[in-house]
Amino acid sequence: MQTALNVLEAEPVRLLISFGAILFLVLNLAGILTMAERKTAAYIQLRFGPNRVGPRGLLQPAADVVKLFTKENVSPGRSDLWVFLAAPIAMFIPAALVWLVIPFSPNAVVADLNVAILFFVGITSISALGVVMAGYGSRSTFSLLGALRGAAQMISYEVPLILSLLGVVMLTGSLSLVDVVRAQGGGFWHWYFLPQLPMFITFYIAGLAEVKRVPFDLPEGESEIVGGYMVEYSGMTWALIQASEFASMGLMSAINVTLFLGGWQPPFEFLDLGTFNWFWFGLKTALLMFTFQWIRWSLPRLRMDQLMDLGWKVLVPITLIWLFVTAGAMLIFQEVF
Amino acid sequence: MTVAFGFLTGMALVSALGVVLSRSVVHSALFMSGTFLAIAGFFVMLNAPALAAFQVLIYVGAVTVVILFGIMFTQRPQVRRYRTIINRQFWAGLFVAAGMGAFLSYVLWIEEWPSATAGNGPREVAAFGRDLLGVSPGSEIFVLLFEVASVLLLVAVVAAIVVSRRKSGGGIDRGVEE
Repeated sequence: MQTALNVLEAEPVRLLISFGAILFLVLNLAGILTMAERKTAAYIQLRFGPNRVGPRGLLQPAADVVKLFTKENVSPGRSDLWVFLAAPIAMFIPAALVWLVIPFSPNAVVADLNVAILFFVGITSISALGVVMAGYGSRSTFSLLGALRGAAQMISYEVPLILSLLGVVMLTGSLSLVDVVRAQGGGFWHWYFLPQLPMFITFYIAGLAEVKRVPFDLPEGESEIVGGYMVEYSGMTWALIQASEFASMGLMSAINVTLFLGGWQPPFEFLDLGTFNWFWFGLKTALLMFTFQWIRWSLPRLRMDQLMDLGWKVLVPITLIWLFVTAGAMLIFQEVF
Repeated sequence: MTVAFGFLTGMALVSALGVVLSRSVVHSALFMSGTFLAIAGFFVMLNAPALAAFQVLIYVGAVTVVILFGIMFTQRPQVRRYRTIINRQFWAGLFVAAGMGAFLSYVLWIEEWPSATAGNGPREVAAFGRDLLGVSPGSEIFVLLFEVASVLLLVAVVAAIVVSRRKSGGGIDRGVEE
């Protein structure tokens, strides 16, 4: 028994198993989030939502997957076929890869990189490439417009997103997510969202824009450009795009929880569950994902110039000012840190 | 290790050939991101994950996306086709490429590589940052280079604003400011 466990912990096997587990988690997360999205929408709008398949409609995602698998995969006749087909993959892989560095509980992290935050930033920046590829490959005007909007939005909001991480990095003195979580131990008043409140809010808003959710869903803009860069997709390619959107939404929540809301740290020390601390991580991530959905069904969409104004004229100055405040505070209260 | 090296080398070479051989600018740009990713993989193999992350962030995430963005904004990418490999600049290009290759081979050949195994040396991010800021002994020159690079970037940013600014009164009002 012990030797079997040792074999499982040896390097290539461990990485393969954890990679499989991450893929399983991400794909299921996407399925469950579509369900949750529709149910949240229904309850906010005083409807029932999907309630036919299984008890209270809980098996709806399974039915959706079967439907999408059997659906024909149509591509436009003039499309650039290789780019068109590679785009959903280029969107999904970044969304799945970053989960490798997230610490789920004290000892459950697939790759404890010493540059995990940098890894997250780098991989997130690739996902704009997938959007551009989808828009170009479809060769349709709506797709191209959506891709242009998406690329502009994602490049712009990367700046406040990265700047808002720096406060946490300064306080921790490490780029490793495991170190960041360990530094937030001992009750919720030690979590970084209190000393870094403006950064937390900026990261939340920039994260919303980065995953293209309402009120920043201009790249999709159903009412103006039909469906943006995903107009021409159908069947499994469309499902892969949707899956990557939901996976990156979960990812943004998970990173937000890890950096600002204490990761797997319990809110009070007597609630420490040891190995089962992943419960706290999951609970906080789920709550954040719910707020993403809540916002989606409550707020209208921004205009393009409002979007750019918010990013460059509000969020970037806030993060820069708070960087100086953090640095000054660390200089003055040196003995505390 | 050898398998990974072979895979990355193949990826880099095939993508690099794709950049010069494909006839659509967008395809070239996409192939270029493949080359950049393979080079990031080489950095990971050399135990320099920070450098790999920067490579992905700057070259794949920023440079390629901005190039594609520029292509799509300035022209209809479907229409234009270029003959990229045989054109008027063939001989000049061949001369530059061969000269660069010869120079690099020469440097690699004459240089002594006494203890150069992968992962040898200070590759922690903290030490890297201190070297870059010229704090640690023997690296004072880097702070000058660092400052020169940042001044260059600042000039570029100011120049971009000056070039793209609408003149008051004149010019076409496009309705939406971006």
